[in-house]
Amino acid sequence: MLVLDRVQRSFGSVPAVRGISLEVPRGSTFGLLGPNGAGKTTTMRMILGILIPDAGTVTWNGAPIDDAVRRRFGYLPEERGLYGKMTVRAQIVYFGRLHGLAENEAGRRADRWIERLELGAYAKRACSELSKGNQQKVQIACAALHDPEFIILDEPFSGLDPVNAEMLLGVLRDLRESGATLVLSSHQMWQIERLCDAFCIIAAGEVRAAGTLDELRASWPTRTIEVEPPSPALAAVLAAEPGAVAHGAANGCLAYDVPAATPLPPLLRRLVAAGDVNRFERREPSLNDIYLAATGDHA
Amino acid sequence: MNDIAVIFQTEFVRRIRSRPYLIGTIFGAIGLALIAILPGIMANSMGASSRSIVLAGPPALIAPARALLAKDYDVVATVADAPAPPSIAYLDAHGKASALVVIAQRGAGLHVTVYARDAGADRTALGHDLVPLNVALSTNVPQSRIDALLVVPVDTESLDAKFADGAGAEAAKGIGLAMVTILYLAIILNAQNILASVAEEKTSRIAELLVATVRPSTLLTGKILATAASGVLQIAVWIGAAYAAAPLFASQYGDPSSSAASTAANDALFALIGRIGPAVVAAFAVFFVIGFLQFALLYASAGALISRTEDMGSVVAPLVIPVVVGFLMAQVAVVAPDSANVVILSMVPLVSPFVMFARIAVATVPLWHVGLSIAINLGAIVAIAIGAGKLYRVGLLTYGRAPTFSQVWAVLRS
Repeated sequence: MLVLDRVQRSFGSVPAVRGISLEVPRGSTFGLLGPNGAGKTTTMRMILGILIPDAGTVTWNGAPIDDAVRRRFGYLPEERGLYGKMTVRAQIVYFGRLHGLAENEAGRRADRWIERLELGAYAKRACSELSKGNQQKVQIACAALHDPEFIILDEPFSGLDPVNAEMLLGVLRDLRESGATLVLSSHQMWQIERLCDAFCIIAAGEVRAAGTLDELRASWPTRTIEVEPPSPALAAVLAAEPGAVAHGAANGCLAYDVPAATPLPPLLRRLVAAGDVNRFERREPSLNDIYLAATGDHA
Repeated sequence: MNDIAVIFQTEFVRRIRSRPYLIGTIFGAIGLALIAILPGIMANSMGASSRSIVLAGPPALIAPARALLAKDYDVVATVADAPAPPSIAYLDAHGKASALVVIAQRGAGLHVTVYARDAGADRTALGHDLVPLNVALSTNVPQSRIDALLVVPVDTESLDAKFADGAGAEAAKGIGLAMVTILYLAIILNAQNILASVAEEKTSRIAELLVATVRPSTLLTGKILATAASGVLQIAVWIGAAYAAAPLFASQYGDPSSSAASTAANDALFALIGRIGPAVVAAFAVFFVIGFLQFALLYASAGALISRTEDMGSVVAPLVIPVVVGFLMAQVAVVAPDSANVVILSMVPLVSPFVMFARIAVATVPLWHVGLSIAINLGAIVAIAIGAGKLYRVGLLTYGRAPTFSQVWAVLRS
């Protein structure tokens, strides 16, 4: 299990991470979310030992992360970088060797990854000749070649077209099935929501929300009730509900945010008594809703 | 250790396959080979243009004059009478000589007239060579006696136990200067390669991936060792090319006489090289390593501070100063190895690799001077490594404008 305990890091007088604590169970897939400048990359760099926390601790399976542990980690940084003149295969082999693989073994695995990521036509070409998406696939191979037990992927989907994004999703699922623990950051919520078991939303260097999607939803203070048709009588019933806030009528329905604890059967009975109800639906907040609310971008 | 080996191997292969390295190695080898054969080419061209002469005059003067001129000129023909002035065809007919030299007795002395294809060619040796004959004609003293009087034997005894005689000491100065120059080139070129390599990793953003895998110190160590090895290989290729070129030129392109001259020159060169004792060779190796490490660490940290290759010049400029000062002071050290200023500078890090080596090359330096210099420099390497390591680690992940001096100072103090 990865544990961050009250980790802090400043750059000069600017605090980047302010006492973040989180736990990532072994074998899980964890989404680290937050707006630009929230402290995600700094947090990831502290997990990897690239940056040393000013305060707090980072442990993996109860022990500090030393060089031997880091060797078993994989990393796909947000800012992609490759040796432009080195060939694709040589690059992948190099990073495999830096992670402790013997040259022959690294070569065999590199060939498998090249085939899997459909990079065969580029294996002997310099990385600078590849498209951005293909360069990213090379980096994914570099990060995963040594079968890491823990892997951090910072914005792994950026720059990938839908086909390659789907391919990456498959790769990440396979890594998860092989037992690897994954920490991802992405601004593409639908992909993160499909992939991750748990999430941590940070903003301004602080944890704003954390847990599984169900836990995040459970702690969400309101639910959106959608009712059709958008008649004045039904609207009046909804407006009279304690704590209800009109969400605006959209797509031909009434939408109201009501407190999460509002009992729905009595509300439905009152609506039916007031007029014909064609549709009554309680909509759960999406990860995007929770993210926007937690980061203060949306009420 | 394994990580360093992997980085070393990859960096070394990457470097020696890079276009700039290959171009530098090839053109450097060609350049040094040219420098090695240039004296031969010059000698040959000079021989063809100004050293072959036709000597004309009374037989009584021709014989002693020819003997006197033989050391500097190739007398292709001697004649009693010659057309004055001669035609070009006349010179062509006499072994394509460069000039007709007419000697005659005028009054009590010798008079020489030169009809030359190229009047601007240097013929000062002609007048010098014929001085004994001129004196003989003027004084009636036998020429053999005059020859003997014109040479004053001078014996120089070296007080420095390192050299048997003055010639050895003089040769050592030349060799010392040459080796200091090679040391300078080896250090500055390889340190700049480190800078370029680090800057490439920083600007290509691969640095973050690397330091997530290995320690920055490990990365830097492997990189420095690989650059040093590739630099040594490059220097070996250069020197090998120069060494091979001289006899090749002599045997294939030189005429028999110039070939013999080239061989003699090579022999003299090898004799000079033979004067380089093992202590000087060892000192070269030690001070190359010391100097390279100091400058490589500094250049690496400078490379880590920049975000764009265009900024390279601004961070390098302050680092060039000690290299140039060291190189210039080494030239002073060759002439005055025991002067107070030189002795002090031979202890100052960054400068001393050049100055102390120059002192060792030309004089017997007290062992404690050498030991103290090495100790100070090793201490300086540790201090530089700590400071440069901090800058390297922090700089690698810092992007944006080049840092200010106060920011650099803050990192060093951290």
